[in-house]
Amino acid sequence: MQKKIFAIILIAALAISLFVGCGTKNQGQQPSQQQTQNIAQVLNDYFTEDPNGFDVQESTTLSMYTMARLLYSTLVRYKGETLELEPELLAKMPEVSEDGKVYTFELKRGIKFHDGQTELKSDDVKFTIERMLDPNGKGASTWLFEPILGAKAFMEGKSNSLEGFKKIDDYKFQIILEKPYAPFIQNFAVPSASIYSEKLVKAGGDNWKFNPMGTGPLKLKKYEPNTEIVLEKNPNYFEPGLPKLDEIHFRIIPDDTTAVMEFENGTLDVATIPITEYQRIKDSGKYNVLESVALNTYYFLMNVSDPKWSDVRIRKAMAMAIDKKKLVETLYGPRGTVAKAFVTPGIPGAYELGQGPAYDYNPEEAKKLVKELGGNVKVEAWQRGGDRLTDANIAIQAMAKEVGIDLDIKIVEKAAFGDARSKGKIPANYGNWWADIPDPDNYLYTFFAKTNQMSSGYNNKKVQEMLEQARTETDTVKRNELYRKIEDTIVKEDVAVIPLFHIKSLLATQKNVKGIFIHPTGVTVYINAYKE
Amino acid sequence: MFTSWRCNSLLEYILRRLLFSIPVLIGVSLITFILLNVVPGDPVVEMLGKHADPQTVQKIRQQLGLNDPLYVQYFRFLFNAVRGDLGRSFKTGQPVTKMILETFPTTLKLALSSAFVAIIIGLTVGIISAVKQYSFFDHFSMFIALAGISAPIFWISVIAQIYFGLYLGWLPISGYSSIKHMILPAVVLGIRFAASIARYTRSMMLDVIRQDYIRTARAKGLAEKTVIFVHALKNALIPVVTIIGMQISGLLTGSILTETIFAIPGIGRLSVWALSNRDFPLVQGTVLFTAVVFVIGNLIVDLSYAYLDPRVRLQ
Repeated sequence: MQKKIFAIILIAALAISLFVGCGTKNQGQQPSQQQTQNIAQVLNDYFTEDPNGFDVQESTTLSMYTMARLLYSTLVRYKGETLELEPELLAKMPEVSEDGKVYTFELKRGIKFHDGQTELKSDDVKFTIERMLDPNGKGASTWLFEPILGAKAFMEGKSNSLEGFKKIDDYKFQIILEKPYAPFIQNFAVPSASIYSEKLVKAGGDNWKFNPMGTGPLKLKKYEPNTEIVLEKNPNYFEPGLPKLDEIHFRIIPDDTTAVMEFENGTLDVATIPITEYQRIKDSGKYNVLESVALNTYYFLMNVSDPKWSDVRIRKAMAMAIDKKKLVETLYGPRGTVAKAFVTPGIPGAYELGQGPAYDYNPEEAKKLVKELGGNVKVEAWQRGGDRLTDANIAIQAMAKEVGIDLDIKIVEKAAFGDARSKGKIPANYGNWWADIPDPDNYLYTFFAKTNQMSSGYNNKKVQEMLEQARTETDTVKRNELYRKIEDTIVKEDVAVIPLFHIKSLLATQKNVKGIFIHPTGVTVYINAYKE
Repeated sequence: MFTSWRCNSLLEYILRRLLFSIPVLIGVSLITFILLNVVPGDPVVEMLGKHADPQTVQKIRQQLGLNDPLYVQYFRFLFNAVRGDLGRSFKTGQPVTKMILETFPTTLKLALSSAFVAIIIGLTVGIISAVKQYSFFDHFSMFIALAGISAPIFWISVIAQIYFGLYLGWLPISGYSSIKHMILPAVVLGIRFAASIARYTRSMMLDVIRQDYIRTARAKGLAEKTVIFVHALKNALIPVVTIIGMQISGLLTGSILTETIFAIPGIGRLSVWALSNRDFPLVQGTVLFTAVVFVIGNLIVDLSYAYLDPRVRLQ
């Protein structure tokens, strides 16, 4: 009996080994990938989250931004890896009137949407802007076009047409602002500002977001929700010789560890490397590891209107309690650099790297301030989601404890966190900001204007007036001076935020993948990518 | 005559059970609705992310009907749900029913394949362990079963991916498009359930084989195979069937960790995604679906009792 059972088990094991063992590693790929091995230029990449359709006006996730840059085009774009703008759908950069309120645009002629017939015209730009602002629509990035004259009335449903858009002809139009807004043109480079076709969107109806037709270098070939997105070359793309890739396959792999394994297995050509894997992947020498400067600041924000954080001395003590160098080296190793200012270095008008108004680590001074406050101060911060405190929060908590600050950190589920933030109810939090546009306004106005969007509770009226003034200032030198003054007050005098560090973006590719890079705004650029 | 009476009684029983499940389902939907509205977190703020300015939030809340009184929202949901319309996902704009029905076959495939693995391994190991009590096989298999129950599934998954996918290259690391893709997740998920099935089967079998009627069967000179598989196993299976039934119901509502690690777009991932995005209609839909699966699962388990033990009558 026993022998029989063992014999059955043995036969079964052999059968399974034969069944699974006769293949090679490459058989582990999805059939669609197998089929495409014969096509010359196919890049296999992944997202951790499905963008859920392709209406870039509805979502601001990184996967949607990446899709936007592939499927659609914007009026202007960043030149290569720089922060300099260049025309994309425009024939030339727009002309700006002396008072900074009137922008005159001219589109390139003959640009076709993915149907190969519909040509891009001025009306499409107007339609795109109005669709974003439509009070009955789902436009999530209304901030992009809010400075336009009449935008508020349009959003409130008080007018049917955007007053600040003047069509000159099919290819020329003007946009008039309510008041000058210096970084306005930058907004047109944000992926959410991709230009749609009025005719095709209307024809697509409810199904539009799953059958997008833009003017981008690639077009949608296949979409299996939560599984795979396949893009193919747009033969009508307006830039000759581009893109170099025939297809890009994006699998949806929610787990980073799985994605790294697929990458090491050769079934993915590109992978975002978690910091824990960075050194191992780099040292193996088998892959290209791309490190790119990224426009981000990791910070500790304190709500100055919260009674426990309202005394500037506790905020100052906190700023001097955190050993930023130790923090960044432990968390991100060579990938991070200590922040001395809130606005990331590299942004026009920002402090240069290593300079800025932030306090240095000084535990003795911090202890003195805590003593002044009566010793053993109790304060609270929140963490956005997670089942345990992050390493960064544990370290910050321990450093605060060293100087006598009892920092209680509560984990708040991410939707509840977002809700509390919109109501200004978060007492303090460790967080990060990745710039939408390379302008100090995108950091300082977002966090410290009276709209209190990020729950800073900031209420220094003088600074808030300066923030409004800086937005409308068209003289670059004066504007930069204003921002320095604003940042000095916020970071040094009021200590409303503690800039901690900046990190680089990391991307690993197989050795034969060339021409791909991550732009400082965080979006991966594939337009020149190819496989050797 | 007898068969037709039995058939009618069975149908009546099933219908009665299904009717009783209606208040359960209404209760589940009501509790879910209340919880969703009590727990902090605005779906629109979550949708808009960092640029959630109050004006845009209000605009989209209006669009989604979230500014209506709560009772209006609930009855609207209920009214539509009884007509088979679970509404549209806030996040994707797709009908919830369609999203669930598109995802369910994948979960079903994973659930059935892992249940198959679990039942085959679990029953075999459990029976052998009981028959060969205190043998090396018994000690060894029960130790493995204990380890199987205790080991976290993500750990087993990653080890399996590294060994069979990356190191040996025998099986795909993730995905679900072919039978080969399903082997690792099914085995990883199945092994865990096999462990508990094995332990239950062993203990139930040990109970049964000490009964008088088994001694009688042996005394009659019946072959050991007949004694074990015909007389003992059927009687030992009743509690095991309950465990299997509950576990299959659990598997059919999705295994979040396995689906995430192996990149399988199943119901589990969909539910968590809906919840973390505060996608109210999708949360309501997936919870209701889960409840329906459990109601049907329990009904099937109860029906199987009657088959396994004629003394059990459906009332």
